[in-house]
Amino acid sequence: MGVVANGGHPGGTFSCTDILVALYYGGILHFDPHNPIWDERDRFILSKGHAGLALYPILADLGFFPLSELKSFGSRFGINPDNINVPGVEINTGSLGRGLGIGAGLSLSGKIDRKDFCTVVLLGDGECYEGSVWEAALFAAHHELNRLVAIVDYNRISALDFTKNVVRQEPVEDKWKAFGWNTVSINGHSFTEILRVLKDIHDPKSNKPLAIVANTIKGKGVSFMENNPSWHLGVPRGDELETARRELTR
Amino acid sequence: MKQDEFRDVLFDEIHRVAAKDDRVIVLTADMGAIKLAKFKESFRERYINVGIAEQSGISIAAGLALRGKIVFVYGIVPFITLRCFEQIKVDLCTMKLPVTVIGIGAGFAYGLDGPTHHAIEDIAVMRALPEMTIFSPSDPVSVEQVTRIAYASPGPKYIRLDKGYYSVIYKTEHDFSLGLAVHRKGEDVTIISTGTMVHNALAVSDELAKQSISCGVVDLYRIKPVNAPLLLRAVEGSKLVVTLEDHSIIGGIGSVVSEVLADNRVSVPLKRIGVNDQYSFTYGNTECLQALHGLGVNAVVTKLICELRKL
Repeated sequence: MGVVANGGHPGGTFSCTDILVALYYGGILHFDPHNPIWDERDRFILSKGHAGLALYPILADLGFFPLSELKSFGSRFGINPDNINVPGVEINTGSLGRGLGIGAGLSLSGKIDRKDFCTVVLLGDGECYEGSVWEAALFAAHHELNRLVAIVDYNRISALDFTKNVVRQEPVEDKWKAFGWNTVSINGHSFTEILRVLKDIHDPKSNKPLAIVANTIKGKGVSFMENNPSWHLGVPRGDELETARRELTR
Repeated sequence: MKQDEFRDVLFDEIHRVAAKDDRVIVLTADMGAIKLAKFKESFRERYINVGIAEQSGISIAAGLALRGKIVFVYGIVPFITLRCFEQIKVDLCTMKLPVTVIGIGAGFAYGLDGPTHHAIEDIAVMRALPEMTIFSPSDPVSVEQVTRIAYASPGPKYIRLDKGYYSVIYKTEHDFSLGLAVHRKGEDVTIISTGTMVHNALAVSDELAKQSISCGVVDLYRIKPVNAPLLLRAVEGSKLVVTLEDHSIIGGIGSVVSEVLADNRVSVPLKRIGVNDQYSFTYGNTECLQALHGLGVNAVVTKLICELRKL
């Protein structure tokens, strides 16, 4: 899709693909592709919307819309998913730092209405430079939104460089803990670990929201993209494209 | 008779609708009001103080509205519009959510607090947002009515609210869905104003009447979408059109009226009176700062007479 439309953010897309697969195919999220606005559904917010290329094929495969419609990537479907054109997408994305606040609002509305749905927000680590993320983190802990889950795609690379060279973020997990969240760090490419930490989100044992620091590899699965800041965005061509396709389908 | 402060009139109206509709929720960015405290007392679960955190406040409001809540978010004008402008754009406007942003402190209402608190750019930026409706009421009656309209209508709204006490202008029935009211029809000049500057406009009209100058006054209480046909009818026959606002001369109602006149090929002399393109580091109460910026009654009267002499 990205190659055809000549756009996309492959690095951050591949770093969170395993997490999305676990959420949608691992029995974690409750949803109905035939009724995307079912009120009891769990809400998944791809706050790092630039990884939309990871979400579209999953939604299509699950039947939210026909797979053939993915051909309209670059026209009806943009790099950043929106809820105007794409069934199954909860919010308009593109600008960073808003997903957790919206997720907190959704989660609070569920709490007010005594609903059991969960809200899962996937954040980029670079996105966590936005102060609004931490405003929302304070709010969620204060209001004991224990059906709210934040997953940080911690690939350690922002748009231009490694985060340790941009503005240091460590210790990431401790920051969420200090903001009043339950926290856990996992390998974000291990289905076993992802499913283990998400399996109880519908039956929270604590009043705190849950932050998962998912250690990931930017560009995961494509050797020349892995851990390479140059592939935050870009489109592989020629030999690179052949290599990427071969490695991803291996 | 002393009136309630605008914000108390507004929160009283929200209290009334919330009593009948449990979808109504109020978020405040740590700003208070007597009648907001009453709302909190009545609807504890539907009163949320997000703290001095306007950006996440708008996003949280959007999340609530996505599940069918009707949300009012309250803060001081520059902070609840400019600080979180992008959240208003993306979270509220692109998703067309029924969230009403209530900005307290139009123009120089927070005169003593300096330029951080002066609200002179909000109309310009908020009206650039597609889907946004902007209300700027002038008296307690219009505050109550636009609040009710904001509650009942879809999409994002912004209510620009002055601080303090202002007397009733709307003493007879008026249909507030029209977007503007012609309080006086003028043959020589028509002043189009908004918010509590309408009171200044009426006082200017009184002064000019003493000099046998017929001065009309139009209250543009809904700035966007502007009712262009009605606005054009309101200025028909006037030799001079004047806009008067406690907002930057750039992008406010002077710009709105200019656009309406130009787009409709109406050629009439227009004088825009507002805050010149500068920040004010002189501190004082509203009246003092309005006078300093040439928005007081005497200054406007002088300017109008000067403009009329040019005709």
